[in-house]
Amino acid sequence: MMPAGSLLAATDLRKAYGPTTALDGAEFSIHPGEVVAVMGPSGSGKSTLLHCLAGIVTPDSGSILYNDREMADMTDAERSALRRSEFGFVFQFGQLVPELTCVENVALPLRLNGISRKEAERAALSWMQRLEVDDLKGKRPGEVSGGQGQRVAVARALVTNPRVLFADEPTGALDSLNGERVMELFTEAARSTNAAVVLVTHEARVAAYSDREIVVRDGRSRDMERIV
Amino acid sequence: MSGEGGHLPDRAKSRAWGRSRDLGMGVRFAFTGGREGWVRAVLTAVGVGLGVALLLLTAAIPNAMGMRDDREEARHDIGLVFHQENAETKQSDRTVVVANSDTQYQGKEVRGRLMEPEGPRAPVPPGVEKLPAEGEMLVSPALAELLKSDGGKLLVERLPYRVVGTIGESGLIGSRELAYIAGVDGLAKRINGSTVGRIERFGNPEDQPGRSMDPVLLLLVLVVLVVLLMPVGVFIATAVRFGGERRDRRLAALRLVGSDSRMTRRIAAGEALAGSFLGLAFGTLFFLMGRELAASVEVFGISVFPDYLTPTPALALLIAVAIPASAVLVTLFALRGVVIEPLGVVRSTKPARRRLWWRLLLPLGGLALLLPMIGQGADNGPFNEYQVTGGVVLLLVGVTALLPWLVEAVVARMGSGSVAWQLAVRRLQLSSGSAARMVNGIAVAVAGAIALQMLFAGADSAYTEVTGKDVTRANMEVGLPDGSRVSAAVKDFEQTKGVSEALGLSSVSVGDRRKDPESSVGMTVGTCASLREMAKISSCRDGDVFMTESPEDPTALTMVKPGRTLWVEPSYSGEDPGAEIPWTPPGEVKKVAERADSLRPSLSGLLVTRAALPAKVEPLLYSSVYLRLDPSVPDATDRVLNTAAAFDPLTDAWVWESTSRSGEYQSIRTGLFVGSACVLVLIGASLLVSQLEQLRERRKLLSALVAFGTRRRTLSLSVLWQTAIPIALGLVLSSVVGLTLGAVLLRMTNIPVSVDWASVLSMTGIGAGVVCLVTALSLPPLLRMMRPDGLRTE
Repeated sequence: MMPAGSLLAATDLRKAYGPTTALDGAEFSIHPGEVVAVMGPSGSGKSTLLHCLAGIVTPDSGSILYNDREMADMTDAERSALRRSEFGFVFQFGQLVPELTCVENVALPLRLNGISRKEAERAALSWMQRLEVDDLKGKRPGEVSGGQGQRVAVARALVTNPRVLFADEPTGALDSLNGERVMELFTEAARSTNAAVVLVTHEARVAAYSDREIVVRDGRSRDMERIV
Repeated sequence: MSGEGGHLPDRAKSRAWGRSRDLGMGVRFAFTGGREGWVRAVLTAVGVGLGVALLLLTAAIPNAMGMRDDREEARHDIGLVFHQENAETKQSDRTVVVANSDTQYQGKEVRGRLMEPEGPRAPVPPGVEKLPAEGEMLVSPALAELLKSDGGKLLVERLPYRVVGTIGESGLIGSRELAYIAGVDGLAKRINGSTVGRIERFGNPEDQPGRSMDPVLLLLVLVVLVVLLMPVGVFIATAVRFGGERRDRRLAALRLVGSDSRMTRRIAAGEALAGSFLGLAFGTLFFLMGRELAASVEVFGISVFPDYLTPTPALALLIAVAIPASAVLVTLFALRGVVIEPLGVVRSTKPARRRLWWRLLLPLGGLALLLPMIGQGADNGPFNEYQVTGGVVLLLVGVTALLPWLVEAVVARMGSGSVAWQLAVRRLQLSSGSAARMVNGIAVAVAGAIALQMLFAGADSAYTEVTGKDVTRANMEVGLPDGSRVSAAVKDFEQTKGVSEALGLSSVSVGDRRKDPESSVGMTVGTCASLREMAKISSCRDGDVFMTESPEDPTALTMVKPGRTLWVEPSYSGEDPGAEIPWTPPGEVKKVAERADSLRPSLSGLLVTRAALPAKVEPLLYSSVYLRLDPSVPDATDRVLNTAAAFDPLTDAWVWESTSRSGEYQSIRTGLFVGSACVLVLIGASLLVSQLEQLRERRKLLSALVAFGTRRRTLSLSVLWQTAIPIALGLVLSSVVGLTLGAVLLRMTNIPVSVDWASVLSMTGIGAGVVCLVTALSLPPLLRMMRPDGLRTE
């Protein structure tokens, strides 16, 4: 049953990769503006849960409702369009396109939405300013530090003003100082746009930025608030 | 002193030990790293192996050609008659009469020999233990296979002999050669010194002096070899760089634990060595497998036995040394622009701008070597082979040197358009080298092919002879043995399926005197219908005689007068006596004009119907039957050859062609086609492997791009642009270099320079086609790699 007012919710999700069960009846829900940390040990199924919620991976069974719409009923093109316009992503290693400059990287999701290069780069620059990386606009990812690159990746995730942000270990490759700065900027920016944030992490100090925590273990999720 | 002297060797020894330890570590790294490591090692080995196999094949060609020549010489027979000082070899128990009964079946040559031993000690050809008895034959394994198959039914009819054994390998020049030796009776009385002769032994009668090749043909051979082998070298250089980025990251990790930059380079060299050695092993394996396979295939009419394909030891050694050495050099060269630091790999973000000057030196050097050779080949003796080869190699290597510069210079000026275009252009701007490397092979091949096509087009007329046969008038001609009854033969051919018309024409000479005539003229004998195929004859009845006039040769006009006796086959002093048959032309000899499209062009003389000649002339006539075939009967040619063989196994029959080409020239063209096919397959494979390797390295990024909504079409297009832009530039450059090289080669042979645009377009089209095919083949893996599964780390 979908909790009232939730923007994105999943019930009884199951997913296996060959003989390996990644999700085994996982549940999830998130409200607009809420930051939910998905925690758990390595291999517990947290990233798979995130991929399913984002429509990147199709679960074997279960239901995912986004804005009251069943994701399983959407075509691949519709899910891609959703990811382009309503979702944003931050990955552990940024996954910036090495050939593009930082501003081109940030502008990329807008350009994929058909916005002109100039306009896209103007919007990108404004987000880069908010994330304090506007001085890197002409540099390529190979020329910037890990923390700077991750902030560029956050700007890229936010540039489309997404309603849901998915972050998979966003500080996993950063030192604690850089990691905290990235998290501060990330959550601030998300709250300012009222975006929901699904934050996959195994670090408690990162999870501390969230409003609520869900623990995934052996493919099953448990809401920490309920346990407490 | 002694202390110092003792330390130095120790230090040197320890340095040497350190170096070999680094190399050894590199060798280990080449195979470690789990599945990923093995995949990379195998990809490199397969890539290098394919190149090595092709190089070994090339190194085996001289031996294969030599073996074929040796075997051909060892079974030499009919031609021996001409070499014998006294062409009349006396009959003895050591002689054998041999007749050439070569034929064709389904367009393939069949070597045929009829033999009649004249005593128990008669010689036997190689591959034969005992000559077949009358009515029996020995066949090559390929012919035996064909005769047993459904496809060989018509040939079985043509060879009415019982198969009693096979010809051994030493009697054949190729594994798929169709050959037979049949025992017949009564050959001795048909000895003519050309197609039927008596011999005492098989084999080349004397060591013929090495024939030097025509300079233009030699030039063609050299350029063909260079053009075919260059892309192989480029391919090997590309293959040893597979997995470069991953290796750099591994080296960075080694820097972290204390390796210095020299050590990391040695470790990289060790990895390259391991890859190349494994490639040598794979290549040898591919070559040996291919060698065994060679026995069962025939390419453009050429087949070989596996043992023919034995690489020349010196060349094999050169390959074994050059491949690892070049692999190390290429790796070290590639590491120039990379700074491997302990915390990661830093590629100079703005790599050193590529310099044009030294890149231009290569093609200019090539031209400098070739230009002095201009005009050398036509009349002034042979070319300097080394200078020509060096010049061509430098010009073509110039393509590989210029292309990275050209790609870099052009993509640097390209603006951003759509997302797909932007992704492609930015990637090319960042690493145009790898893109250029990918298309280098094809650019070299296209440049060489354009030059060769120009040379072939230019030289074509010199090596192609117009036969004068009008294929619209007849499709086949059958020359009947002396004394044959042409009318019976015509009837046989008319009843053959697939023959729409058969026309018999015979000839004999006629002189004004019985002995030593002052003038003589050719006489063509036939029916009214067949004579009309030669001249414009309005009315004709059997018994009529016509005369065609030729302003250049008025003999017939002066010699043939009503009532004057002429002599068919007059005798000449010092020669065998002729038949000397008197013949008086009828009262009226009509003058007629030759047809422009005569079956026997440039005719002058008498046209005589059969009834106008005495019957005893008939055995003296040399007769031919001209045949028009029904194009809707696919095996008409073979049916005609069957009828001809049934008429007489020694009947000559040939298919009319409007032009004929020099054998050597044709072999070079065939060699080019065979080689091009191999090289194109290799280039296609290399492109595909490189493409997949690049995609594999970017799998995670591709998945991430798809995750945030990038359309697959956008990414596919981006991959296409990434290949298409360098390919387009490569093809432009290769066209310019190819046309320049072609023009120089033509000038070298004093052939007027003309550009065969059709071949330029077709060559560039084939190059572009290979790229499109490879891109299409790499799309399914690309789509698979774009799956979000690529984001999984566990």
